Amino acid sequence: MQLVVDSLLTNYQKQGSGKKVIIMIHGWADKLQTFDELTSDLAKKYTVYRMDLPGFGQTQAPNEPWGLDEYVMFIDEFNKKLKINHVHAYIGHSNGCAVLVRGFSNNKIKSDKLILLAAAGIRNKNKLKKLGIKAIAKTGKAATFWVPRDQKQKLQKKLYGTVGSDMLVAPHLKETFKKTVMQDVQSDAARILADTLIIYGMKDSATPNEFGDIYHNLIKNSKLVKVDDAGHMLHHHQPEKTAKIVEDFL
Amino acid sequence: MKTIAVIFGGQSTEHDVSIVTALASVIKPLELTKKFHVEPVYIAKDGSWYWDKKLKDIKFYQSGEIEDYVKKAAKTHILFDNGLTLVKSSQFAGRKQYKKIDLVFPAMHGTHGEDGELMGILEMANVPYVGCNVPSSVIAMDKILAKQVTESAKIPSTPWTWFYSDELAHGSDKILKRINSLKYPLFVKPAHLGSSIGITRVTAKDQLMNALEVASHYDDKVIVEQGVENLVEATLPIMGNENPVPALLEEPLLKSEDFFDFETKYMQGGKKGTGKNAGAKASGSQGYSRIPADLPKDLYKAAEELGLNVYKSTGCRGIARVDMLVDTKAKKVMFNEINPLPGGLYAHNWNKAGISNVELVSKLIDYAEEAWQKKQKLATAFSTNYLKQF
Repeated sequence: MQLVVDSLLTNYQKQGSGKKVIIMIHGWADKLQTFDELTSDLAKKYTVYRMDLPGFGQTQAPNEPWGLDEYVMFIDEFNKKLKINHVHAYIGHSNGCAVLVRGFSNNKIKSDKLILLAAAGIRNKNKLKKLGIKAIAKTGKAATFWVPRDQKQKLQKKLYGTVGSDMLVAPHLKETFKKTVMQDVQSDAARILADTLIIYGMKDSATPNEFGDIYHNLIKNSKLVKVDDAGHMLHHHQPEKTAKIVEDFL
Repeated sequence: MKTIAVIFGGQSTEHDVSIVTALASVIKPLELTKKFHVEPVYIAKDGSWYWDKKLKDIKFYQSGEIEDYVKKAAKTHILFDNGLTLVKSSQFAGRKQYKKIDLVFPAMHGTHGEDGELMGILEMANVPYVGCNVPSSVIAMDKILAKQVTESAKIPSTPWTWFYSDELAHGSDKILKRINSLKYPLFVKPAHLGSSIGITRVTAKDQLMNALEVASHYDDKVIVEQGVENLVEATLPIMGNENPVPALLEEPLLKSEDFFDFETKYMQGGKKGTGKNAGAKASGSQGYSRIPADLPKDLYKAAEELGLNVYKSTGCRGIARVDMLVDTKAKKVMFNEINPLPGGLYAHNWNKAGISNVELVSKLIDYAEEAWQKKQKLATAFSTNYLKQF
């Protein structure tokens, strides 16, 4: 289904017809289908909305670089357009969590419950990495200026790869990536009052499970669950286990 | 041997569909005739033209190699020399390669191609080309214009209204007032787009505004149509010039609350429908359908006649497909849309009607040459002494 939100053609899906509403927010370079397995269970009891965030899936990219705040405003506008007045729970994954944490902290996004799957947004822990991204982002282009075109992308990939950047996954959103990845949300997390479930995969290398401890300490009413044999995409690696933890919490 | 340029791709939401039509349904059968040299001409998403034998291979597009190719390859120009010649720089010391084209087979869908713009270039070049001409393409690709023309020919359609997208930006009251006279469910459609892009089925008033905004986002004109009860959808591929012939009436197998959106048509092979017949026999290149349509004889005949009337009244030539809505209880057939270049030429239907892909493209070329010959007989010069008097 489509909708125009903030002048951007937005792709979304609505499933289920329960009275309570759940909204799912995917991570960087992902799309709404990432929640397929989780939705099929939840839609039996709830009305579940999922959207492709601007720049991803089938939603238009923003014309200017966006940060977390712009994504928060977008979600707020999405709800207004669909006349969603009360949300029972938001479920975010990875960078989608960073957006939600920012939104909850400034009350632009509200729900009874909040579920964070492999939440990103803790950037200070990776200070070196962050500085690396900043430096490469600034110099990567210049450093590869004289390299033949077919070699250029390989070399840039290597350079960005050394700092673990997701930038090349969505090169059209390079500036947006630079803007969002610099935004740490730990101080925002400390202002969240909603009942929050924090889930991490023990084998997550993108957002290590230690981030879970940090969020758990910061968010007053939170519960932390760590899932064995699951990485960053824990809802894919352990779909049934993840769904069960989510459903029990809801 | 005649040289045929197959033009495809283009700046359209149906760019990718056009590639498949060109490669699978046009170029391959044309080559199988062994009567023609086929030159593929690809229009990239930025509007640049490329002409290269490599462009005939579907893997070239599937693998993403095309992205690199368009960055490096020499662009193609067209030369009007009382005909059409393709021109591009060769790799040898800036020398240019030329290829005189005897006939063009447009395989474009949607904007800047199927809507008459490409046909305008071909008319200016005075080169024979397959399919609808400028006026019929313009009418067919504007759902509003098509309704207006067919209405003037007393061809029935479901109640409808329309508005310019700009009007919506300046307030929706007048538009909503016009729409109020229609009964729900409604179909909100961008006027010029095909493949069901931007179409929303609206079942309640509170969904209407969002649907109007989506359609307005795609197009400068939007049409709103009343849904039909007891609906059977039927589509009829037709080919020919003055004496067009129909293929078989085809019935997409969907329940009334479903409709063929882009995803259903092209991405899932029509498997999305939840209707009782969804998942039944496959047939079309664009999904599940029944050929011939399961309609009582009188309604089948009425639909066939209506389709041919639409084809003639809108001035179609070469090939087109007419979509109709049939109210089986009221026994009423209504015009819905015309598609001047059906995806894949609707070859699956022509095949069932006994016409192979090779025969289909051969016939279309014959029709193109016939139309071009006819045009040559028209006077385009008129002697006056106007300049001397000036």
